Amino acid sequence: MTLDPITVEVTRHKLEGIANEMQSTLLRSSFSPIVKEGLDASAGLFTADGQTLAQACAIPIHLATLIPVLQKIIETFPPATMHPEDTFLLNDPYTGGTHLPDIALVQPIVVDGKLVAFSAAMTHHQDIGGMSAGSVPTNATEIYQEGLRLPPLKFRDAGKLNETLVAIIRQNVRIPDTVMGDINAQLAACSIGVRRITELTRKFGHDALTGLFSELLDRSEIMTRKALAKIPQGTYRYVDYLDNDGVDLDKPIRIEVAVTVGQSGIHIDFTGTSPQVRGPMNCVPSGSLAAACFAIRALTDPAIPTNAGCFRPISLHLPEGSLVNPVEPAPVNARTSTIKRITGCIVSALANILPDRIPAPSAGEMALVAFGGRRPTGENFVTGDLIASGSGASATGDGVDVIETDATNCMNLPAEAMEMETPIRLHRVALRPGSGGDGAFRGGLGTEREYEVLTDNVTFTHRGERHFSAARGIFGGGDGACGESTILRTDGTTETIPSKIVARLMKGDRVIVRTAGGAGYGDPTQRTAAMRRSDVADGKVPA
Amino acid sequence: MTYEIGIDIGGTFTDIVCRGSDGSVRIAKVPTTRGDPSKAVLAALETARTEWGVAPSSITRFTHGTTVATNAVLERKGARIGLIATEGFKDVLEIGRQMRHQMYDLILKPETPVFLAPGRYRKEVRERLDASGNILTPLDEASVRQAIDDLQKLGVEAIAVSLVFSFLDPTHERRIRDMVPAGIPVSLSSDVDPAFREYERTCVTAFDAYIKPVVGDYLANLEAGLKQAGVTVPLQVMQSRGGLASSAIARQRPVRLFLSGPAAGVVGGLEAGKAAGFDNLITVDIGGTSCDIALITDGEPLIRAEGPIDGYTVRVPMVDVTAIGAGGGSIAWLDAAGSLKVGPHSAGSEPGPACYARGGTQPTVTDASVVLGYIDPANFAGGTVQLQPDRAHAAIRSVIAEPLGLTVEEAALGIHRVLNAQMAEAIRLVSIGRGIDPRGYALLPLGGGGPMHACALAEELGITSIVIPPHPGVLSAAGLLGAPVEHEIATAFPTPLATLDPGAMAKTLRDLDANCQKLMQAEGVTEPEIRHFADVCYIGQSYHLEVPLPGDIYAAFLQAHARVYGHATKVPAKIVNLRTVHRSKAGKIAASTTETKHPRPTTTRPIRVANGIVPAAIWHRDSFSASTKLAGPAIVEQSDTTTLVEPGWTARLTQGDSLLLERTE
Repeated sequence: MTLDPITVEVTRHKLEGIANEMQSTLLRSSFSPIVKEGLDASAGLFTADGQTLAQACAIPIHLATLIPVLQKIIETFPPATMHPEDTFLLNDPYTGGTHLPDIALVQPIVVDGKLVAFSAAMTHHQDIGGMSAGSVPTNATEIYQEGLRLPPLKFRDAGKLNETLVAIIRQNVRIPDTVMGDINAQLAACSIGVRRITELTRKFGHDALTGLFSELLDRSEIMTRKALAKIPQGTYRYVDYLDNDGVDLDKPIRIEVAVTVGQSGIHIDFTGTSPQVRGPMNCVPSGSLAAACFAIRALTDPAIPTNAGCFRPISLHLPEGSLVNPVEPAPVNARTSTIKRITGCIVSALANILPDRIPAPSAGEMALVAFGGRRPTGENFVTGDLIASGSGASATGDGVDVIETDATNCMNLPAEAMEMETPIRLHRVALRPGSGGDGAFRGGLGTEREYEVLTDNVTFTHRGERHFSAARGIFGGGDGACGESTILRTDGTTETIPSKIVARLMKGDRVIVRTAGGAGYGDPTQRTAAMRRSDVADGKVPA
Repeated sequence: MTYEIGIDIGGTFTDIVCRGSDGSVRIAKVPTTRGDPSKAVLAALETARTEWGVAPSSITRFTHGTTVATNAVLERKGARIGLIATEGFKDVLEIGRQMRHQMYDLILKPETPVFLAPGRYRKEVRERLDASGNILTPLDEASVRQAIDDLQKLGVEAIAVSLVFSFLDPTHERRIRDMVPAGIPVSLSSDVDPAFREYERTCVTAFDAYIKPVVGDYLANLEAGLKQAGVTVPLQVMQSRGGLASSAIARQRPVRLFLSGPAAGVVGGLEAGKAAGFDNLITVDIGGTSCDIALITDGEPLIRAEGPIDGYTVRVPMVDVTAIGAGGGSIAWLDAAGSLKVGPHSAGSEPGPACYARGGTQPTVTDASVVLGYIDPANFAGGTVQLQPDRAHAAIRSVIAEPLGLTVEEAALGIHRVLNAQMAEAIRLVSIGRGIDPRGYALLPLGGGGPMHACALAEELGITSIVIPPHPGVLSAAGLLGAPVEHEIATAFPTPLATLDPGAMAKTLRDLDANCQKLMQAEGVTEPEIRHFADVCYIGQSYHLEVPLPGDIYAAFLQAHARVYGHATKVPAKIVNLRTVHRSKAGKIAASTTETKHPRPTTTRPIRVANGIVPAAIWHRDSFSASTKLAGPAIVEQSDTTTLVEPGWTARLTQGDSLLLERTE
């Protein structure tokens, strides 16, 4: 049949509406704070051959994480054998997952015996077992320490719950009710996709509907290619470093990308990137794909409907055994920092040819601090904070101070919330003057947070970045300041935190976290005197 | 004869509704005066005097919905303010919560309203409370004097004070207020929003200070103007929660006026829906540039604790209205792959849709309505604007139909279908997100554009009843006459339910009531209806739900949790805030049962609907009698809107003089 363009667009609105409804249900009916408040969950619809049709996500890192999941499910369970009430599940990074806390659920949408599409939901679970509560140990050296590994399995078989699997999950996680509650929210989200796509199939017929799906993907591909064609062809490189892997603290980790923009699309070669590391900073291929997907969405037109069509022009070369394509059983739980830096590298590689659209590098540091211990009253407590850094300056203005950039988008914790819930006090929540790279336009500032623990024997985890490698200025702009974190003991001694640390704190000890600044853009002598006066008057630069 | 007046200021028109003591209702529109909106209010009053013989001295109630608070922010015309914070925390306003709204933008913009108080205007004072409200560091008055001095030298016109944990003990903030010289208005966070989370509290307090002088001046001018015109009753202003306040009190708490107009619209919808016998309603206000969606459950509008103002989230209670960028003026266009898009850009009122013939060449939704035969070009907006259908045809042909290889009519129908799909998905998402299935609700379309799209939206959403109020185009003004006087005061009361001392809670509520009572007395309301609420959450979680008091708080919380989030577990919960809401017994919506009607003959004309061209009966709303039952396809015309009754739907009059559209099987 010929596709009428109106129906194509109406269907697109419906598919995006369905993805949003799935996501809304997923967030609404989840139990854990990481989903409710961190929005670390995502839902979407996929074609029968596993291509992204519509996806709702609050964090760019999720853009690509379901793609290898779908591939693996289709590979493992022949579509011809799928039952409408099957539900598949997996979390293992070496068989389609990204890191163990992320469990994906996938339900086939089978109407009158024919597979039409898939409905899928992925949630970062609060705990999946392993060596530390929360299942993101910065000192893991093998994936076996990171938690329970689940290969592609049937969670429901023709509507029948896999009780064996449920029992295994419950036995291996620290908070079984919460984890199962969140898995049920994922099931609920998937069932919405199934119901509404089934309705659409009955309305349009199987062939017409799948025809509409491919038309939508093709349209996004056409628009993405048209937008990419505006970028000058060539190969562009960028190199940046992560501080260390949390285990070998004196070893910076190199990330190198060569981005080739050509007629057939965009190719990203990671040759030159560090071999896989001992600590958990390794990142399975879907992480680099997520970074590339973010970059392509940011570099083309954000109004283009996001689906697999946008991603078709992307190809990657990920050397085996490297940081970006690790070999089992390398640990991977801290891959977020790696994906953030990869995203920054891909975008920055193109900064010279797109000087008006690409800002100077952002610090891209999302420092993670966690405190755990026992209250004076005896109960346990655990709390954490995610602390942003400065964004890069651009051709049109200064960077933004203390803002989430690239592949993540998390909120910080209010001081009042932290103090009401835990024996920790915040003495300072401030901009970090002078931390933005100088330039015609100045980089955004990092922030400074000062914590005091009010009880003894607190386990403290710090996962920083940009402590040893600054965001580098462009077109003559200065570098952003590096991150600096210190522990102030009550006896007056000071310990510098080498980007990543696990330490014990006693009552009265303080931790000062200073996150990095964004890089400057353009020759500093071009910065106007009025802007420099404002910088000093408003405390952005020390007097 | 005495009169009640409601005047609502919109972007293009200022609407007036006048209800006489005999029940008669009159409506009129005058152009909004952008520079000084109070001029349009006085012009509307003059219309009432000259055309309807309403003597200002015979006005017993004067109610007003205003955009002055929002405009002060949108146009950055607020006061130069200073912010005083606890030592170590002055940058909280600028740092905010660090999240960005545009996920794929590479060049970022600040997400916090830094413009309210850039760094130099933020000062710190030495003082600190702990999380239980105990003093860790006493207030250092020398540092306060220094801060005030510095701010005065910078010429600030108002001061916001937000100290850490001030909601547990406002003494330090109040002392600072006392130390500020007279003549500089002060907003304290412990008054404006006494609840935890320092950024949110600081932000709303800074907004309050920022708009206080502007709102104060505007209301004072308007009061003086009304007095001069001979109006003797106090001016009442609609607040964002859907209750009225006297202007004297409203200007003390200006941040509560941000959603004045939309709140009036929701109250109008609520009253009209109730009169027609519906307690569960989805109101959809389709104007020129946007579509506002709100939900009414069990006869109460949903209220939310915070909402967006110019892109910034401001924590002040407001009717839960969600706006999407789609309306009658939305422009239809083709993207790079040739897909038909509608909005978010709008032709606005200038140049307006192509058919206005004021220079607009882009096809809009209104142009599509003309092509489809829904709008009679000779009779648009009561005949005040003469439309040119050829311009509508030409715009749709050249921009949409020819590139897509469609007829102009097919393209026009496509514009409607795309817009309707967009709005229907938005309504579905708003409902689902609040734990509500739209199928059990009636649809109540408002605005000039609402009734045109109502049947299509209802079909998409599985809704079977549509209530069209007598005057959907001026429902905000009508809502002003139906709204109660209302004041609300909340305070932080962080207490686990397990250790709740009912005596302490009762005492806190008594204190809140005493303060609220003072406000109500100042309004002249002596016997208000009083309701108490607790904000409750699971321990360790930071999103809370409002639970009515008295009663089994835990059971009510679990029930609310199950409704909104789909499940509830029996783990410990705590109270976060306590709140009291006092309101007068509501008035009555401006029903028009005794309005003079001018029945006109029914005609027919061909219109285009999904399954082809059909002859449609064209009715004038005034021609409906109690026994009229009209089957679609049909068009119902009236001066402020056009209703499309699609095939498969019927229309008849119902209680409250509303038109009830019902799905036939």
